[in-house]
Amino acid sequence: MVQDLIRRYTLSAAFVSLAFVCTLFLQRFFPYPFLFLFFAAVMASAWFGGTGAGIFAVLVSTLVVAYFFVPPYRSWAITPTALSYFAAFVVCALVVSWVSSARRKTEEALREARDQLEIKVSERTAALMRTQTELARLSRVLSMGELTASIAHEISQPLTAVVTHGQACLEWLSGSPPNLEKVHQTTESIVRDGTRAGAVIDRVRALFRKEAPVKDWTDLNGVILELTVFLRNEANVRHVSIRTQLLPALPHVMADRVQLQQVVMNLILNGMDAMSGTGQDERELVVRSQKESGDQVLIAVEDSGAGIAPEAAEKIFDPFFTTKPHGIGVGLSISRSIVESHRGRLWAVPRPGGGTVFQFTLPVGAQESHV
Amino acid sequence: MSDPRPTVFVVDDDASVREAVSNLLESVGFDAKTFASTEGFRNAPRPDSPSCLVLDIKLPGANGLDFQEALARAGISIPIIFITAHGDVPMTSRAMKAGAVEFLMKPFQKEDLLAAIHHALERDRVGRRQDAELAVLQARFDVLTSRECEVMDLVVDGLTNKEVADKLVISEVTTKMHRGQVMRKMMALSLADLVRMSDKLKNRDRR
Repeated sequence: MVQDLIRRYTLSAAFVSLAFVCTLFLQRFFPYPFLFLFFAAVMASAWFGGTGAGIFAVLVSTLVVAYFFVPPYRSWAITPTALSYFAAFVVCALVVSWVSSARRKTEEALREARDQLEIKVSERTAALMRTQTELARLSRVLSMGELTASIAHEISQPLTAVVTHGQACLEWLSGSPPNLEKVHQTTESIVRDGTRAGAVIDRVRALFRKEAPVKDWTDLNGVILELTVFLRNEANVRHVSIRTQLLPALPHVMADRVQLQQVVMNLILNGMDAMSGTGQDERELVVRSQKESGDQVLIAVEDSGAGIAPEAAEKIFDPFFTTKPHGIGVGLSISRSIVESHRGRLWAVPRPGGGTVFQFTLPVGAQESHV
Repeated sequence: MSDPRPTVFVVDDDASVREAVSNLLESVGFDAKTFASTEGFRNAPRPDSPSCLVLDIKLPGANGLDFQEALARAGISIPIIFITAHGDVPMTSRAMKAGAVEFLMKPFQKEDLLAAIHHALERDRVGRRQDAELAVLQARFDVLTSRECEVMDLVVDGLTNKEVADKLVISEVTTKMHRGQVMRKMMALSLADLVRMSDKLKNRDRR
């Protein structure tokens, strides 16, 4: 604080000294003392040192001018003729000092306002991003809920018919003699209604499958990092920390970025779901990328959740199989079909020490595919 | 069962479900009549035999629960079994409060559906028997004179002949004569029998 004060006043004295030296030098060429440089010194002092330094510069300049440049020279006395000239100098110096320091203050206030604005904008942006993540999650949950209801209705109708026909068929068979004509008719109905239920499922699967994948050289590390940022808020809410172990300079793969995003996001969200049931404090999800032999890259998502029951392990990739209370059971099935459409492989293995590792490989040279 | 073959009405907008339910009912010996809409059911003739209605909740146009209320308002009493693909607690409680026999989730089990149908038909059968009895009682009651009605009301309230005579300001002998006529016309075997008949007639009026 004191140092700063000293610095300002020293600077002010330096400006005035410079003006003095120059004016002394210029006096040889002009009939009258050239006093304008003192105004410049006052202006600079007020600008860089503030109001105090400005006034100080006015004071020093006034003394210097009174002594050196107002007749009689080299004396504090001032002749009456020079008095008005000197007074005008002092007034001008004061005005210059005031204008300059006021101007400086305005600029500083402006700069501060701008900085504050920037901080506010970045805060707002962060808040918006959080809201957006939340909205994305909500809309995912909502559309899943609606979809579940509509699929449930669409499938339960033909299913009801199949079950009921089947029971009727047993009745027709149990008669003596069995009514084979009715059995025949009923069985045909069962085939028809079963086919209808299958068609509903096909429609749902088509809904989830992107028609034309857009393939480009894709950096999977980039995809993972983007998603960890995108899902950070979700992870915080669920008290999960996401750790990445990415191989630097992972070879790029020819793939549909959006589809792979969907796969990795699915695996991360699944991993978080798997850990939500466990009471442990340390919920860590690890996302790894590494290079495999035979020109393959491998992405693994490890959770420390409850793991998968052996009897469920075979079914988790089946459409509409779910272990979650509100799940619909399409995530892993879609993920697998996407990975396979990139000529890769998606599977799950138990994690040593509890939990599950979901991992998929993609060939580095993957170019052609058929969805 | 001595009564005519019972009829089960089925209203469901899904043709497959309709056909399957009808097939199942037929296989266990019921006479099933199916309709795609509630209007179809309303316009169909109803046989004079025990019947019940298997009704889908989600129907185009009319909702099954609303239709249940509309039937009740129109004075059509038929036991209803609801079937639905996605029911919830409020739906179930509304249906049951309005007198539904059962609320089944699709796909349902044969045993559950048939048990509900048997229950519903039994309820309809009892209702029909009561209606028939009432009709007979009403016919007997209709031939009573107004004085005989007055005597009957007082007698079933537990008054003695003398009390009735005092109340109506007639002689005890005349009262006995009216009372004898009431017992004869109503075909009552005893005073207790007459009280029961009177109760049934009064309950009908309240319904």
